[in-house]
Amino acid sequence: MTQDQRKRALRLIARPPKGSKLARAKKYGVDLTLLVENLSLTPTERAEKLSNGAKSLQALRLAGERYRSKK
Amino acid sequence: MKLEETLRALFDANVEFVLIGGAAMQMQGSAHLTEDLDFCYARSAKNFERLASALAPYHPRLRGAPKNLPFRFDAATIKRGLNFTLKTDLGAIDFLGEVAGVGDFVAAKKSSDVMTIFDMECMVLSLEGLIRAKKAAGRERDLDVIPELEGLLDLRNRSQK
Repeated sequence: MTQDQRKRALRLIARPPKGSKLARAKKYGVDLTLLVENLSLTPTERAEKLSNGAKSLQALRLAGERYRSKK
Repeated sequence: MKLEETLRALFDANVEFVLIGGAAMQMQGSAHLTEDLDFCYARSAKNFERLASALAPYHPRLRGAPKNLPFRFDAATIKRGLNFTLKTDLGAIDFLGEVAGVGDFVAAKKSSDVMTIFDMECMVLSLEGLIRAKKAAGRERDLDVIPELEGLLDLRNRSQK
């Protein structure tokens, strides 16, 4: 995503066109700022974010399992 | 999940695959988080061999199956089956011969975008393909992500004009 496209995207998420899928997503509760951030990344950066997110999810799940097993 | 190592293993063995599912969603810009990897693979004899040899060093076994259940992820097993949900040393990986709403590997390939990930050219299911797959899967968890995917597609199309 170029700088111009990013600016356009930020304007769009601030005021999504009425009746658009973007407006529907916003109404549904989707955090549109995260989408712009992700689109600003290169595919490799997105892949690294994906791997880090998976590691965090796994760590949280294991911590939950340890907590429940102690109770 | 070891994404880079998984892609490298498949890429180095020349496996024909398309990244699908939650990981493909994230690669397309979604904020959805996932712990496993899903791939659609080509159903050809050559690809069965390649897929089996690519995964062999990572000890693939059936996820959720009893530990003593005999299982060998080789070309013959892949040929006899279609979809495999595996646990490997690289993490949980699913290999699908067909994707609901999209079709087989050839159809998935047509509905994919080529992305350079860690210096590898990988096919990733497009946003349009992901939306079709989620609608066809039809489970609550699938339908729940459709507003995000459709919003993402709309945002991408409008911001690129």
